[in-house]
Amino acid sequence: MSQPYRIVGGLVGRENLVSFRFNGKRFQGYRGDTLAAALIANGQRLVGRSFKYHRPRGIFSAGSEEPNAMVQLRHGAHLEPNTRATVTELYNGLEATSQNHRGSLEFDLMAVNDLLSPFLSAGFYYKTFMWPKSFWEKVYEPAIRASAGLGRLSGEEDPDSYDKGFLHCDVLVIGSGPAGLAAALAAGRAGARVILADEDFLLGGRLNAETLAVEDMSGAGWAAQTAQELAGLPNVRMMPRTTVYGAYDHGIYGALERRTDHLATSAGKPRQVLWRIYSKRAILCAGATERPIAFGNNDRPGVMLAGSVRAYVNRWGATPGRRVAVFTSNDDGWRTAQDLSAKGIEITAVIDSRDKPALASVPGAAIVMGGRVIDVAGRKGVTAIKLAKGQTIETDCLAVSGGWNPNVHLTCHQRSFPKWRDDIAAFIPGDEMPVGLTVAGAANGALSLGAALIQGTEAGHIAATDTGHTATSITPPWAEDEPRDTAAFWHVGESKARAWLDLQNDVTVKDVRQAGEEGFRSVEHLKRYTTLGMATDQGKTANVGALAIMAEATGKSIPETGTTIFRPPYTPVAIGAFAGRSRGKAFRPTRLTPSHKWAEEQKAVFVDAGMWLRAQWFPRAGETHWRQSVDREVLQTRASVGVCDVTTLGKIDVQGRDAAEFLNRVYANGFAKLPVGKVRYGLMLREDGMAMDDGTTARLSETHFVMTTTTANAVGVFRHMEFCRQCLWPGMDVHLISVTEQWAQIAVAGPNSRALLQKIVDDSHDLSNEAFPFMACGEVTLCGGVPGRLFRISFSGELAYEVAVPARYGDALMRALMKAGEAYDVVAYGTEALGVMRVEKGHAAGNELIGQTTARDLGMGRMVSKKKDSIGSILSERDALNREDGLALVGFVPVDRSEGLNSGAHFVSPGKEVTTENDEGWMTSVAFSPSLGHSIGLGFIKRGASRIGETVIAADPVRDRKVEVEIVSPHFIDPEGERLRA
Amino acid sequence: MPDLTLTASPPLDGYHKQFGDTALTEIGDQALVSIAVPLGGADALDSAMTGAYGTTFPAPGSTALSKDGSVRFLGLQPDQCFALFELAGNDPVEAIANVLGDTGYYTDQSDSWAMLRLSGPLAVSALERICPLGLAPAAFPQGSVARTAMEHLGVIILCENEDSYVLMSARSSAPSFLHAVETSVENVS
Amino acid sequence: MIINHPLLGPRDAAEFVYLGDASLIDRPDWQSDTAADDFYEYQYLRDNPAGETRELWFHEQGDRSWLVVTRNTLTHEITKVELARDVALAAGRDR
Repeated sequence: MSQPYRIVGGLVGRENLVSFRFNGKRFQGYRGDTLAAALIANGQRLVGRSFKYHRPRGIFSAGSEEPNAMVQLRHGAHLEPNTRATVTELYNGLEATSQNHRGSLEFDLMAVNDLLSPFLSAGFYYKTFMWPKSFWEKVYEPAIRASAGLGRLSGEEDPDSYDKGFLHCDVLVIGSGPAGLAAALAAGRAGARVILADEDFLLGGRLNAETLAVEDMSGAGWAAQTAQELAGLPNVRMMPRTTVYGAYDHGIYGALERRTDHLATSAGKPRQVLWRIYSKRAILCAGATERPIAFGNNDRPGVMLAGSVRAYVNRWGATPGRRVAVFTSNDDGWRTAQDLSAKGIEITAVIDSRDKPALASVPGAAIVMGGRVIDVAGRKGVTAIKLAKGQTIETDCLAVSGGWNPNVHLTCHQRSFPKWRDDIAAFIPGDEMPVGLTVAGAANGALSLGAALIQGTEAGHIAATDTGHTATSITPPWAEDEPRDTAAFWHVGESKARAWLDLQNDVTVKDVRQAGEEGFRSVEHLKRYTTLGMATDQGKTANVGALAIMAEATGKSIPETGTTIFRPPYTPVAIGAFAGRSRGKAFRPTRLTPSHKWAEEQKAVFVDAGMWLRAQWFPRAGETHWRQSVDREVLQTRASVGVCDVTTLGKIDVQGRDAAEFLNRVYANGFAKLPVGKVRYGLMLREDGMAMDDGTTARLSETHFVMTTTTANAVGVFRHMEFCRQCLWPGMDVHLISVTEQWAQIAVAGPNSRALLQKIVDDSHDLSNEAFPFMACGEVTLCGGVPGRLFRISFSGELAYEVAVPARYGDALMRALMKAGEAYDVVAYGTEALGVMRVEKGHAAGNELIGQTTARDLGMGRMVSKKKDSIGSILSERDALNREDGLALVGFVPVDRSEGLNSGAHFVSPGKEVTTENDEGWMTSVAFSPSLGHSIGLGFIKRGASRIGETVIAADPVRDRKVEVEIVSPHFIDPEGERLRA
Repeated sequence: MPDLTLTASPPLDGYHKQFGDTALTEIGDQALVSIAVPLGGADALDSAMTGAYGTTFPAPGSTALSKDGSVRFLGLQPDQCFALFELAGNDPVEAIANVLGDTGYYTDQSDSWAMLRLSGPLAVSALERICPLGLAPAAFPQGSVARTAMEHLGVIILCENEDSYVLMSARSSAPSFLHAVETSVENVS
Repeated sequence: MIINHPLLGPRDAAEFVYLGDASLIDRPDWQSDTAADDFYEYQYLRDNPAGETRELWFHEQGDRSWLVVTRNTLTHEITKVELARDVALAAGRDR
């Protein structure tokens, strides 16, 4: 018979029948069911096996606090473990499987663990798996890995997409129960911009689970009506299926919205959206979570939270049992008996731990005041309960209520602690609150309906006023305050069998007491030693009970024992949601040079240079190894002409009456007297005297300069210069703007570079050596009037220029140069050849400017002018940076020319051991030099300048190599610079 | 002698896509010139701007339109704004310098930015996915401009009206920028 | 975290880059007799209060202004945000 435990009534429409599978078996339910509600309607009592002991478990609750009903949803790459069946919306075709068993759910082979339970108590793994040592890798670790964890991952890449977003509001209302709806109503009607978020798909919170009335209608009816009014207000944004999981600084909240998890497919849209909500005020209306009582075998399937039992009956029209008993320490548990009885479900007993008169009569039920349940029979489903005084009562579902805990979590996310209230025997929000946050309703300790509506209305009203919206005073919706007397009752002392506290991590009262006995008494130790509260439910139904046991055991009060700190997220959030779009290629932006498309057409091999994609070399047909391409590019450039896109280097436009003086201050060497139409190499120090960056700066006019930086430091140098401009010398007239993107810049290098450029640059510009000598610059036009700039600078050591055009012409310029260069066998060269040539020339680059080397180390000590103030000048004079045996940048060649060199190798004198004491320096850059026919290197070595000709050992213990090298000048080609000045 | 005319390439190849009534389109052929205020020269620049364009230097966050509507000045920094106008010829700086003389420091930015117009009913909900700024009319009314970060990219956003926004981002990362905006519209449509 | 920019209003801290203590504005006189010690202290010596600090933040993804932010390191409350240029000028910095 289909859905044998479905009853008449509830909020779930019976029109939309859906079919789903649990452990391969086909069941039916309705749209509006959760998976748990549908399983209950179908009489499926067993839903999983517990973590450690593999005990049979059933559905425990009706909300996100669920510890037991953890299922795997879907299959293949969409497989998702540890999903709580109690919050999983049912859809047609849903597939779920139970977790944590070997063999079937009904006959779990690992259930033997339960028999071994005396050996598996708290902290057992700190005391075992140690001997023999050899067993660890071969026996213990594989066994532990196989049995550890709850659920399993698919092992495949997540095929769904996730998104992120940003929302702004005046008032964020967290939770749409009576307090939240009342707050949203008050704030929304006052005109404030409101966001109302609830983790559930149906707004209303407990109103949908109770039979309490609001005004003159049912609570659920009022909730629906209010939600409708709010949905119609243009200033209110409703966000169901959205968990506000974290409270961050300054009114920022993190929220996870589930967009398609309730549908059979995400149809290519983001499955979930992670929102950052900027609120001026926030009201936490998160309600309260019921807590159980610990007694013998209280983890059997069919033992459930009382409020959840009536939620299934009242909201979902599904009864967890036909002969239900209630065990309660407070007035609230009685309502389960009354609601179920009113729906015709037999109540076999109501057992109230308090010694007082019965609250009501329940037809047919045995009423036991001052009673206690000590044991539960029925391993795979409750069949009976045993009381302390000896009675046995038949029942197929035990509804337990130990009281309610206000959901204070978000108030504690910024390290404040909640405070204890004796009258409800529960924690309420502490005095320190995240800024702008107030709490209303059950979350604030106002557990009854009337009070929740009043508090919510007031909070909403105040939040609206605080954010500048005048509200006419609003009368809160009226409801009775239902009876809620509570006695603190945590554990049935008479129990003989194990009594559970944390169902998900399988932690019992015995474990907590044992932790106390072994000295782990602080709550922080208790948590970590027993793992209580550390499972995916974060101990929502376990923490307070455990504190109470520990308090008892140590003779302290509960407030004295204290709590651990709640941290985000409130409920689990998929890593994919935190990643959002930052996956694969979209992980970060890619920057392309203006000639990128052209380079792709040439089948260039690309390299990541920060966010840029740069051509590394351009292989030609027949070339099978990168050395063939790179050697060719170097040789051809030096023999005739080569072109290389160097747009990526930072370019900063500097203008102002004080531009020259400003450059004088940020560069170590002099710039104030740089003539118009000239370029100069500039070395920039950090204030501590270390070399920071280098480049060339061109003077286009009295008040106009263009600076280049290295690619890697472009952003940092700009930031540094703005710091100097705004913070150090605010009285200077100087302005900066980046023009890295504005100008496509191409290096043209080699003996035929002038000839090639003369074909591109318009004839009106004289490029002869006299008119445009080495280190000249100027504005030119190209190809019939296109504005450009020309700089005669050389990184390669050849006669060379850099030509710049507005970036829109970059692609065309590259093609024009290659076309016009055909007459000279022009070669396109990439970053690899660029690097080889600068090493051959002896130019320092990133490998040498590592932030720990000085101008002096680089051989540029004299460039640091002492006649002016400049960043880094003073501290560069420190003794330790100017030692007689200090480092110097020199060149290295292998004594045996056929050998290769390793960068990163360290230098020791011959015969010396390779130790840090004997370390004299290190190799910074190496290359095979096609020009010389052997490997060359640059590096720092002590007193290098005076050791030319000496032989040392380049030792690389990482790659296990030792190479004899000779110290030489770092300028391997054209040391006199004749080619530069040709 | 081979014909070596240089033709310009737009950053987004003239991209245009319709998402129902919402359109995402590259805005091409715009000139963008930055105007920096010389120290102590704010009044002189304001005078020159008033005389030439009938408007003064915009405060950061707001834009100012020239009297004839041909130039919009974007207030991006206390001492720097961008002049946005239709590109004509190859020297946009000259167009500004001719008119404002030496009352300001000018730098061409016309090639530095890829520009998109996002307009239609999905514009705001798409922007909510990548723009950290509040876009409600009270916070970001017509004519507002701001510079912020979207999907790790620097972006200038300009409000033309409640349903229409201009977005500018660095030319070199234009494909990543387009992908980010396009994905946003797809995700909400 | 939100930084309330004096000209632009509240902005997410993700738009900013942190440099260090606001004392970095007080760069010593390079020509002073005690310049070596002054620069050493300027560069390396800091108080590290648990409580209010004044910090330099650069609005890199915004208007490129440097700001001095007065922030409590215990509560994260930001009580003041000033343009660093104004702070520098008020401290007598010029050229």
